[in-house]
Amino acid sequence: MFNYNLQLALKSLRDKPSLTFLTILTIAIGLGFYTTVKTMSYQGGQVPLAHKSKNIFLVQMDNREITAEEVAHQSRLVDTTYKDTLNLMAMDLPGVKQTFNWSTYGILNVEDENINPLRTFAAVTSSDFFTMFEPPFLFGNGWDKAIENSGEGVIVISKLMNDKLFGGKNSVGENVRIGTHTLKIIGVLDTWHLARKFYDRSFSTARPDNFFIPYTFAMENELPRRAGFDCWAGNADISRSFRTENTERLINSECSWVTFWAEIPDDQVESYNQQLHNYIEEQKSLGRFPREILTYVTNLNDQFTYINGRNDFMNVFSLISTLFFAVCLLNAVGIILAKFMRRTKEVSLRRALGAKKKTIIAQHIIEVVIIGFLGGLLGIVVAHFGLLGMMKIALYSSDYTRQLEDLQPLYALDFTMITNAFITGIVCTLVTSIYPIWRLCNTPPASQLKSQ
Amino acid sequence: MLKMNNVSKIYRTDLVETHALRNVNLHIKSGEFVSVTGPSGSGKTTFLNLAGALETFEEGDYFLDGQNVKGLSDDRLSEIRNEKIGFIFQSFNLLPDLPLFDNVDVPLRYRGMSTKERKERIEHALETVGLASRMKHLPTQLSGGQQQRVAIARAIAGSPKFLLADEPTGNLDSLMAQQVMELLEDINSKGTTIIMVTHDDQLARRAHRNIQIFDGQVSDIEKAVAKDVMRSA
Repeated sequence: MFNYNLQLALKSLRDKPSLTFLTILTIAIGLGFYTTVKTMSYQGGQVPLAHKSKNIFLVQMDNREITAEEVAHQSRLVDTTYKDTLNLMAMDLPGVKQTFNWSTYGILNVEDENINPLRTFAAVTSSDFFTMFEPPFLFGNGWDKAIENSGEGVIVISKLMNDKLFGGKNSVGENVRIGTHTLKIIGVLDTWHLARKFYDRSFSTARPDNFFIPYTFAMENELPRRAGFDCWAGNADISRSFRTENTERLINSECSWVTFWAEIPDDQVESYNQQLHNYIEEQKSLGRFPREILTYVTNLNDQFTYINGRNDFMNVFSLISTLFFAVCLLNAVGIILAKFMRRTKEVSLRRALGAKKKTIIAQHIIEVVIIGFLGGLLGIVVAHFGLLGMMKIALYSSDYTRQLEDLQPLYALDFTMITNAFITGIVCTLVTSIYPIWRLCNTPPASQLKSQ
Repeated sequence: MLKMNNVSKIYRTDLVETHALRNVNLHIKSGEFVSVTGPSGSGKTTFLNLAGALETFEEGDYFLDGQNVKGLSDDRLSEIRNEKIGFIFQSFNLLPDLPLFDNVDVPLRYRGMSTKERKERIEHALETVGLASRMKHLPTQLSGGQQQRVAIARAIAGSPKFLLADEPTGNLDSLMAQQVMELLEDINSKGTTIIMVTHDDQLARRAHRNIQIFDGQVSDIEKAVAKDVMRSA
């Protein structure tokens, strides 16, 4: 009976090809727009380092004054002070990796005089940045603790900068200058796809940094600091000066400006929190940390749940695309209803000749599933071009400072999204077609047989 | 074979109740050829719909081939229609976009027969009505009489015990009507019970027995011409 129903369904689709195409196109346009937005939302909301995102924690210590205002969520809270950063790094925590970062800036030069100096930003960080966040290396490696402790001037550069400054060759061992400081290249990163730049807490879709410099070198050579200094206990008035001067005072201040991360194995999380608690208690005895709730250790998954939930633009865009899809579906179902209702006489006859109600239902479900499937197929094509268009817009709106290869992962229709589109197309078409099918299968067998 | 005891059919709307059939008591024996006559709106089609299990009824009992169809599920009624009843309609009710072969195939498909058996039955049915050579034609390529013969082939392909014909010659000229009537008589002569609604008194008189319906009430008139044909009672 399935084969017969399939034959009837295919015949019905062939009978009115323009109507069938219009139905499929209506579904495809709605589904295409919906899938475009859902893909952007899905890819943009992907948690980086998925294989260990639950073990990568942002560590925050609330050193604010007791009179400081409450905040709605810890994501709004401050970073970490430099002295706490160094104290945490010095703790003996088996199996735990820790790193931190801030940003610096300067004019960058290379020996090749044909390359113009460029104003650039760089991430200042520690050696475990590379082992924790796993950026891919094209040439060389990151620095180790020995280099870090020596204060040697080394630098890791991005593929983009390697292409621009050294024509894409292996530049490990070459020198670059930032300001008056010379740094030796020890590693070149390959293209590093991050859905969002999480490590500086911006969670922006901007590309990762082009340069990475050891914090020891940056502090010893007083590289400028590009950070928001949240200062308490009397340093607010000079906080802006910390960007370029007063390093000693900044180091000993209660100003928070360092983003601190820890990679903690599952079985060490409790122990880590306890050690953090002990540290705070110790610091309290020195007159610091006056507030009650003092530490927040939040993993990447929880941070992205919060960030994605607050992505108002994408949420509104998502709602609009859902409504648009719903409107398209209603239109498609209107066409399907009209088509089915033209068939009441045939259904009435088939019922009279012995077709059971469930057979009629099955026949029309098959037809609707085929429509949904084809709508899904065409919808994916529409979504492909929709995503291509959105990617071009993103490229344009970045003034072409971003590369296509950076953006492609954010606008990629992967297997998950293609599967989702198919299932959504079929299920939604089927669900909204329940009414036309119900109307048709309830046609009384005798109702249409007498008429001409 | 077909027995109705006090069967009534009432159509209800919010404002009006229409008694389409009132207390019908009827017994039709196997092998009979029964004509049903009556003025327009008298309830002939309603009677045929009830007899064909196309509609349900409120009161009374209706035994078809020994089984009371009252209260049977929709699926079971479909099975009964498929296995025991062949329908012939005034307007033929062929599916215009299907070749004759596929039109005759429709009830057989719903019976779940094998491809081979269906093919044999379809070819035999079309041979019986003299249209075996045109099984790949579409209904629109045939005359009215030929279309009605295809409808008869469809009705008999499943070897039903009953044929219910609703004015089968109503859309045909007299010559075609004559051919169709002869075909029905031939089928009846092979043992199939036929109930035929007609407006044509001449055709009605050719049946073994005539039932008249007037204002939803049935009066059963034994026909003189039927005297020697009651075979299988």
